[in-house]
Amino acid sequence: MKILIVDDFSTMRRIIKNLLRDLGFTNTTEADDGLTALPILQAGGIDFLVTDWNMPGMQGIDLLKAVRADEKLANIPVLMVTAETKREQIIVAAQAGVNGYVVKPFTAATLKEKIDKIFERIDAQ
Amino acid sequence: MESINKTAQLEAARALVTALEADNEQAIEDQLTILTQSQESELFHEVGKLTRELHESMSNFNLDSRLVDLTQNDMPNTRERLNYVINTTEEAAHKTLGYIDQTLPLASDLKLTAEKIDESWHRFRMREMNADEFRLLSKEIEVYLPEVKQHSEQIHANLSEMMLAQGFQDLTGQVIRQVIDLVEEVEDNLVQLVKIAGKHVENKPKDNKEVDPIKAEGPQINAGDNPNVVNDQDEVDDLLSSLGF
Repeated sequence: MKILIVDDFSTMRRIIKNLLRDLGFTNTTEADDGLTALPILQAGGIDFLVTDWNMPGMQGIDLLKAVRADEKLANIPVLMVTAETKREQIIVAAQAGVNGYVVKPFTAATLKEKIDKIFERIDAQ
Repeated sequence: MESINKTAQLEAARALVTALEADNEQAIEDQLTILTQSQESELFHEVGKLTRELHESMSNFNLDSRLVDLTQNDMPNTRERLNYVINTTEEAAHKTLGYIDQTLPLASDLKLTAEKIDESWHRFRMREMNADEFRLLSKEIEVYLPEVKQHSEQIHANLSEMMLAQGFQDLTGQVIRQVIDLVEEVEDNLVQLVKIAGKHVENKPKDNKEVDPIKAEGPQINAGDNPNVVNDQDEVDDLLSSLGF
């Protein structure tokens, strides 16, 4: 299971990376916005995408749309971890096909719960 | 205009002299009235000109309504944003320091007991220990091992919390970026203002930016005041489940 973590702040990437390691996901890679994330995704081998919303270059919501629009990437589960908390934003993310939405600041338990839920759903399919 | 006024004033002045010489009181009063009125009308004219100029300048200001918006909305908002940065960093620092306070005694506890057991174990290996002492030692070890497990788990949990608390850097970083953008915008507008004052008026086309309802805004500063904003993870989950998630 290889996970791509996308956030423009290196501190947040590091936090998510460490939390994922605690949950047993040791194979992670990082990108600092949608533009750098897309080529990594397109190169293949990424099984799960964790992305921020508000980033310079390409924002997380556009990255999500790009992933869903790409035949090869469309089925990758996407977890959004963001400080964006407007109702419209959450609705748009849901409509764009996000698999989970975690608001910052978050707890380790919340992150674990959302990831577990995503994989439960995938296993059930 | 000025010369007409001057001729009228001269005429009135001459008539005033004549009236004074003739000691004609009614004429003196009439000519004085004419003279003061002409003075007043010149003053009114000047005031009128100034008013018009002021009005034009004000309209030019209004051409860039963003400037008004900046002072009325964005500046107070910026104060709130910077306060948010102070509060968030303070909270994160206290949280981290609190976990350090909790963790240090756990680590020194483990160290002290380990030192004590190590010393006893050494005596046992050197055959300096009698049976009673050995029974005591094995009891100590029995208590110590689960304590090591428990303390290490607690230390791990505390370190994870300290790590999470560092998320403040992302949250405040987003807010500070917004403030930097605002400062740049204020600077641009001030330059524009200086140009207007220097009569190099460039009528900037009004930017009717369409408001994007999902534009990224970073952390909400007064989330409680805005019904359109969710306050916590539970509200996110509720909203998503109402959408059939």
